[in-house]
Amino acid sequence: MSVCRARSLSLFGIDALPVEVEVDVSPGLPGFSIVGLPDAAVQEARERVRVAISNSGYKFPMKRVIVNLAPANLRKEGPAFDLPIAIGILAASGALAPARLERAGVVGELSLDGGVRGIKGALSMAEGAKKEGLRRLVLPQRDAPEAAVIGGVEVFGMRTLKEAVDFLGDGLRLAPTEPAPDNGTDDLAGEDFADVTGQRYAKRALEVAAAGAHNVVMSGPPGSGKTMLARRMPGILPPLTMEERIEVTKVHSASGEGNGELVTHRPFRSPHHTVSTSGLAGGGSNPRPGEVSLAHHGVLFLDELPEFGRTALEALRQPLEDGHVTISRVAATLCYPARITLLCSMNPCPCGHAGDKRKACRCTAGQIERYQARISGPLLDRMDIFVDVPRLTRQELRDEPSAEGSAAVRDRVRMARGTQTARQGSPNSMLSGRRLREVCALGGDAEALFSRAVETLGLSGRGHDRVLRVARTVADLAGGEGIAAEHVAEALNYRRSHLLGR
Amino acid sequence: MEDSERRDERAKHLFLSHLQAMVGSSLVARLGNLSPEAVFETPYSELVGNTGNFRKAERLFDGLQRGFDAGAIEDQLAARGISAITLADEDYPGLLRNAPDPPPALYLDGAIPDAPSVALVGSRKASSTGIETANKLGCALAERGVCVVSGLALGVDAAAHQGAVDAGGLTVGVLGCGIDVVYPRSNRALFDSVRRHGALVSEYFLGEAPLAWRFPARNRIIAGLASSVVVVEAPEHSGALITASHGLEAGRDVWAVPGPPGVRECRGSNGLLADGAGVLWDVPEFLEAVAPRGGTGLEPPDPSLPAGLPDTEAAALSGVGLEPRGVDAVARRSGIVMSELLPALALLELKGFVHRDAVGAYVRRAVP
Repeated sequence: MSVCRARSLSLFGIDALPVEVEVDVSPGLPGFSIVGLPDAAVQEARERVRVAISNSGYKFPMKRVIVNLAPANLRKEGPAFDLPIAIGILAASGALAPARLERAGVVGELSLDGGVRGIKGALSMAEGAKKEGLRRLVLPQRDAPEAAVIGGVEVFGMRTLKEAVDFLGDGLRLAPTEPAPDNGTDDLAGEDFADVTGQRYAKRALEVAAAGAHNVVMSGPPGSGKTMLARRMPGILPPLTMEERIEVTKVHSASGEGNGELVTHRPFRSPHHTVSTSGLAGGGSNPRPGEVSLAHHGVLFLDELPEFGRTALEALRQPLEDGHVTISRVAATLCYPARITLLCSMNPCPCGHAGDKRKACRCTAGQIERYQARISGPLLDRMDIFVDVPRLTRQELRDEPSAEGSAAVRDRVRMARGTQTARQGSPNSMLSGRRLREVCALGGDAEALFSRAVETLGLSGRGHDRVLRVARTVADLAGGEGIAAEHVAEALNYRRSHLLGR
Repeated sequence: MEDSERRDERAKHLFLSHLQAMVGSSLVARLGNLSPEAVFETPYSELVGNTGNFRKAERLFDGLQRGFDAGAIEDQLAARGISAITLADEDYPGLLRNAPDPPPALYLDGAIPDAPSVALVGSRKASSTGIETANKLGCALAERGVCVVSGLALGVDAAAHQGAVDAGGLTVGVLGCGIDVVYPRSNRALFDSVRRHGALVSEYFLGEAPLAWRFPARNRIIAGLASSVVVVEAPEHSGALITASHGLEAGRDVWAVPGPPGVRECRGSNGLLADGAGVLWDVPEFLEAVAPRGGTGLEPPDPSLPAGLPDTEAAALSGVGLEPRGVDAVARRSGIVMSELLPALALLELKGFVHRDAVGAYVRRAVP
């Protein structure tokens, strides 16, 4: 029988789907074609495979070679089919026993000298292989540690095509790659809250935001430390669970940003304001995860929020609401996870110095209004906490006592999150509608204070809900069962300024 | 005066008004006492003499002399329901007529109320305290039946007009452009309210643009129409100070609202106080001075801290000053930890002791 099958996997979004590589080697004029909806990179596999086979010391069959990637209706992309195609051809031409290929998944890109190069999405591949019931996964050496994390599938890393043929042909015995030992800690690369002097108000606001997974807008003049504060936000979020680490690594690996290891820190992404819509939300003709997905389970920081394109920001609405991005194409619909804490910074006015004691603001009221109106209302509606970050004078900086470190803050945040998960199974920022009313029921004093505030401050319906959610988080941080008046009062501080509408 | 004679005088003033809109008031003041024929017929060089090379003024003057048609202007005004009062008319406001450099004509949408008037002016970029003070004063004056005159600009002007409108009183807005031009545009709604509660007034004909030099010029009308001028809050070099000096020239009482020392927004108004302006430190006293009613009948407010404020709130209040201050600065001054300070500030705000401005800074408010 000259038809030979190798099992492989193809990345689809951040999940891997099984693909069968069928190779037929039959008499006829020498030729090599690949069918089954391959893209350009897969077509080019013909040249790489042919040269890699000869350079590895094997003979490329002087026959008619047809490769079919099944299922034929799924679009295949990327160079990860090089290795299974080469293995399939060698098996079909008798260089190794085809039986050995059963229950083994093979993925990898070949270089011309017969070496095996790293691929995207190794973790997803391993997960896909496990789901598919494969026993072994053969993939590039570089990606083996990442793939081994999944467990349940023996992972073997290969350096060359020859090694892979020897291994699959039973000439070589290898031990499966062990997952890298979990060092357990996630040191925060020196970015600690204690580095930021002063700004106790902003820090408190970020602590509340972290505790309830609320989205934050920081407003302040240039040089007041907004970016410095934002960079320290991932450090006060609770550490990633194993499940979350795998999800984050899958996204990073699928986008080609992985380094073969498991991601252990909460991601912090800070795209420039010239980012395109698909750069931010994901997409493109070869869809890739956008910044919002790369920030999955971490922090997406939009510096200078009003400078971002309106359409790009509009694209954030779905991920903020649903926790994932759906990318629809004629051929298929992809889904990337995107559960983020959104952190935005903005200047109070175009020149940036409104309210700054050291430098006079030169903007007219009209300019300030237009500047603030640039931010889309629906996006602002998804932001719970608004905090002003003034620039401190040198004197104020000198007088400031040393600040609390991230570790202590994170312990409080972790406890508050624990309370929320136990109570409603999600962070407080996800509360809405009837569930919000149930969880955030106010008693006596708190209710009286709140209705007075609604009246005096002219809170809108949405503003009303925002205050309730944040008050719930403040109460959780304080370890209280019910929401007391002082919790509501603190939450009132985080409402938006009238310039952004109530 | 004969009817025809009066019509000619009126035409002359309308002509001068149009001239003034182009060249400013220095030239026009010299022509005010000439006869209508002299103004309409005499060439520029003869009228003005050898005043140098004001070529542009000469060209504009000649052009206006050739094409001027008082009848058409009157028709246009009548069609739009706008009235014009010239110096030749008896209903020209007496206070303004006796002020230095009165405009030859005033275009009115609405009617100038027959009531005592007070000008309330100040910075366009006033602090939240300034805005609140202007609003309260506008309200208090309107409730006393005093007409509030101001310039319909942003900031203090708008707040003063709004106060008068909210109290259902009288107010007059003096513009630096034609009265059919809404500038600044964000005040559109306020323009309509002011028209309903008094009048929009301008010395510029319909459609004239809001050129920068016209605003200092219209300040003399604001001062001229009022018997007292109040500067609510003004930095140095503020247009409000120009209004105050016009007021002094016209012999008006000038008042200023005291602000904290050294604060940029209040340096101009505090400077007026140093120069001897009336100190507007107490609203009833001020009202009694500008619109006497014989005894206020009101108890003076108690300025001491109200008893019964909880300790944390009292301590937080001690950290809030007359000048806007960020939360961190308040925390440092009051020595309260952040998690206790934030609720205290919110409660103080709800109780009306402090105010939070657009950039999140807290400032004391007058005791409610």
